[in-house]
Amino acid sequence: MIWRFVVRRVLIAILQLVGISLVVFFLIRLLPADPVARLVGFNATQVAYDQAEAALGLNKSVIQQLGDYLGIMSTAKYDGIAQGYLGDSWVTGSPISEEIGRFLPVTLELITYSLLIAFLIAVPVGITSAMRPDGVGAKITFFWGLFAGSQPEFWWGLMFVFFFFTWWWEQFGFFLAPAPLGRINPMLIEPAVITGFILVDSILSLNFEAFVDAAWHLMLPVFTLVFIVSGPIIKMIRQNMVRVLRSDFILYARSCGLPSRSVSLYALRAAMAPAMTLIGIFYGFLLGGAVPIEVIFALGGLGEYSIRSILSFDYPAIQGTVLIIAMVSLLVYLTIDILHAFLDPRITF
Amino acid sequence: MTTDSTSSGTPEDINPHLELDITKKRRQIDIVKKFREEKLFAFGIIVVFLSIFLAFFGPSIAPIDPTLATGDVSFPPPPLADWPGLLWQVMTTDMENPPHWFGTDSSGLDIFSRTIAAPRTDMSIALLAALVSLVVGTVLGLLAGYYKNIWTEILMRTSDLMQAFPVFITAMILVALSGRNTANIIFALGLVYTPIFIRLTRAEVLSQKTRGYVEAARAVGNREWVVAFRHVLPNSVVPSLIQTSTTIGFAILLTAGLSFVGAGVRPPTPEWGLMIAQGSNNIVHGEWWESVFPGIAISLTVFGYATVGHGLEEDYR
Repeated sequence: MIWRFVVRRVLIAILQLVGISLVVFFLIRLLPADPVARLVGFNATQVAYDQAEAALGLNKSVIQQLGDYLGIMSTAKYDGIAQGYLGDSWVTGSPISEEIGRFLPVTLELITYSLLIAFLIAVPVGITSAMRPDGVGAKITFFWGLFAGSQPEFWWGLMFVFFFFTWWWEQFGFFLAPAPLGRINPMLIEPAVITGFILVDSILSLNFEAFVDAAWHLMLPVFTLVFIVSGPIIKMIRQNMVRVLRSDFILYARSCGLPSRSVSLYALRAAMAPAMTLIGIFYGFLLGGAVPIEVIFALGGLGEYSIRSILSFDYPAIQGTVLIIAMVSLLVYLTIDILHAFLDPRITF
Repeated sequence: MTTDSTSSGTPEDINPHLELDITKKRRQIDIVKKFREEKLFAFGIIVVFLSIFLAFFGPSIAPIDPTLATGDVSFPPPPLADWPGLLWQVMTTDMENPPHWFGTDSSGLDIFSRTIAAPRTDMSIALLAALVSLVVGTVLGLLAGYYKNIWTEILMRTSDLMQAFPVFITAMILVALSGRNTANIIFALGLVYTPIFIRLTRAEVLSQKTRGYVEAARAVGNREWVVAFRHVLPNSVVPSLIQTSTTIGFAILLTAGLSFVGAGVRPPTPEWGLMIAQGSNNIVHGEWWESVFPGIAISLTVFGYATVGHGLEEDYR
């Protein structure tokens, strides 16, 4: 049964991806930007301009450009999406998929750890505050849920850098956090890229020095994101717990004389599903939304790649980035929905 | 939440059974009472008014021209202990060089003046973007909910598609490729936030459409679009109005975020995100004041709008 659901969802997702690539394609061509001038400079001669335009394929009609991009009725020498090729960057000349393959894992690693930690914190906090709805803890979590969800994450990241790096050094003479200059100390040997997740890679290559240093470098960016996203997740878990605790099956469990610990476990299972959905939404949001955090800590993630491509009008790179982000988020949503079905027996496909 | 009466008589005159439907407890929000009783909500309301006030008058009440460099480069703010004395001096004597309450940045611009002049940029972008998405989203949502045809179907699928786009990156693309100026940022943010309002309004319209007053308005001979815009619309707009407050907050964050990564307004426009970005280069050297003060301003403003949005939503439910 579940397979039929998965197949249907994957088909819809493919349609959505086609739609997204079309929208991005036309959107960037509708906007009044001149990538040729950006590439050759405004003082270039007409000949140089024309040459560059022809090299980028921008002298062709929009429909023909679309064909080249999609790889259907293509007149270009290179492959298109239909052949599984995202094109080459206009700025660096290397294949987009290769570049994204290098930048994407950095972002994925950052937001995976952050959401995992935020979730692990949010579950006990959310439950405790839901079990005692009038307590001080409940008031604090309510405030936190509202406050953290509406904060400029890049500013907090900067404040943490100032506090844990600069100020701490001035006060105590040692660094609590490393300088916000990348994922690992440049003096160390970087682990070979296997998964792209630097922590996983350093364990796989048994480079524990690199592991410790990479974890140290990831500490502040992850802390910043946890600080921001934990608020809404706690709020969500608390709200659902309160709602579930009032429901009939909990009343029944209580009247059967079950201890409150096992009652709250039952409730937790039911309250988990919406929280998972929220985490999925955050995952998709942060893929493109963690950009300022990546910039502050100079992590070299997809966000920085997208800034670079957008500001240099690198159309193939922009198209590729948006497509990949949409693809990963749709994949995450699908996973969450399947998990949802396991958590909530009422859902049938 | 009132039902309009039409020229040919109120719906009550026509069908007495409808009265049940209409006099059903109206979901009213008593803002004044809420302001007195809830501290957080009161804080939010104050922030909202202050931000709008500064958007209008911020640049004019700034003690030093926010875009004019002074000779004092990278001045730290005066220690807190000196503030009362300085304040007294400012009020009693006509100082030639007013104090830099929040210090100056590395170009010699006065941080305090820039922080209170920035709402002119930040708030007008956020308010107008929210207004654009509210108006466009509500009208499209009304059409999508009220009429069911191929065009509204296409509209909804397009809106679904737009929601699958990464917000921050889409906004960056729209602003960077159409030119980094205020109007383009408003347009970009408005476009990004419109689908939420389409969805909210449509859901509400779908539930309102089956209510008795709609049938009554039709029965007295109103044309379809009159029923839609004069009767269904006013009854379906409340969720969107509540969402507006939250959207304004998010729009402020996005505006600041865009300038922070270099895809927003250009320097030396006084704008909070830009100020934080400019200060971020110097913060590791210990010049904290350049980024701290505009950040506190964003933090409090967005939190204020969030509390108002939350308070209204709570009452409406």
